[in-house]
Amino acid sequence: MPANGLYLFAVGRGLDPAAISGVEGIDGAALEVVVWRDLQAVVCAVDLTEFGEASLARNLEDLTWLERVARTHNDVVFAVAATGTVAPMRLVTICEGEDSVRDRIEALHHDLSAALDRVEGRREWSVKVYAATAAAEPAPEPPDDKAEVGSGAAYLRRKRALADRRRAASDRSLHVADEIYGALAAAAVAARQLPPQDPRLTGRSEPMILNAAYLVAIDEGAAFRALVQRVNETHASATLEAEGPWPPYSFATLDAP
Amino acid sequence: MTESPETSRSPTHSRPYRSSPAQYSDGPAPANLADILERVLDKGIIIAGDIKVNLLDIELLTIKIRLLIVSVDKAAEMGIDWWRNDPMLSSQAQDLSEENRELRERLAELESGGQADEDT
Repeated sequence: MPANGLYLFAVGRGLDPAAISGVEGIDGAALEVVVWRDLQAVVCAVDLTEFGEASLARNLEDLTWLERVARTHNDVVFAVAATGTVAPMRLVTICEGEDSVRDRIEALHHDLSAALDRVEGRREWSVKVYAATAAAEPAPEPPDDKAEVGSGAAYLRRKRALADRRRAASDRSLHVADEIYGALAAAAVAARQLPPQDPRLTGRSEPMILNAAYLVAIDEGAAFRALVQRVNETHASATLEAEGPWPPYSFATLDAP
Repeated sequence: MTESPETSRSPTHSRPYRSSPAQYSDGPAPANLADILERVLDKGIIIAGDIKVNLLDIELLTIKIRLLIVSVDKAAEMGIDWWRNDPMLSSQAQDLSEENRELRERLAELESGGQADEDT
């Protein structure tokens, strides 16, 4: 008989277990709620032949497996977050059983409660800023000395000049990104910068000059989205895209920002 | 404002049914794998479970994922299979190595005072 573990999706407070009873966990397993004091851990049973230490190390290298588990994890977090205050767990946090889950909650009760306090009544908004296409690549300059065209020295000079123009364009982009980040942060409870996403991962060709997450009160979401639109309109060199509201992944952390 | 396409079309993965009214309406779950991975791998409550996951591996995985593309189909198209082979053997790494080698040769020529190569 295969051994099971419990896969942790999130720790919450005030969740409505009935609201998530129809939601599927990993590999179609039913979600369960493990209660300890005022906190609730949302879990599902997983097969340790798939989620044991050795198998995990192997499966995490398999993009198909990783994508499936990550999307399921995220879908469950979204479903649970709609019913109450939630601190999502990182992917593949697995405990032996319910006692172990309760032990974790007890040991971390103070920090978990603080994380939940920080995000209660609030949601995360993702704002990504791309350099507007025209400003993305500096225009090439014509050779200034035709007699030297093709020589090694001119070649290196052209390379250096291009690098300088790219650096200047990048500096301008950074300045615009900083300004936009600050303008939106002023309207949010908290803000975080995430690393810009690789174009090969997003399929977007324009450079991403800002990848930010904002914590915004639930009933201020529409106003925040409207602010993003206004900032977008006043910055010709940048394109802003807002997505949300999402569960507060970036803010319900044990290490307070 | 340009809305990301993900916010205006249905998510490609169905959202779980909620049997009771939502306390507030959510935006659709992100369809962009980059958004999901950078959050579920790198954010949230990070604690050690009972099943050991080498945390260093997760961080390395996050870095590797950032270098990857959005779907498995695209990965196959581009021949990306870093999880099986040394990434230094990937086609893109080979292109960069080749360009690097050419630039070093040009520098060597200039430093040695040889005739400049005209084939740039």
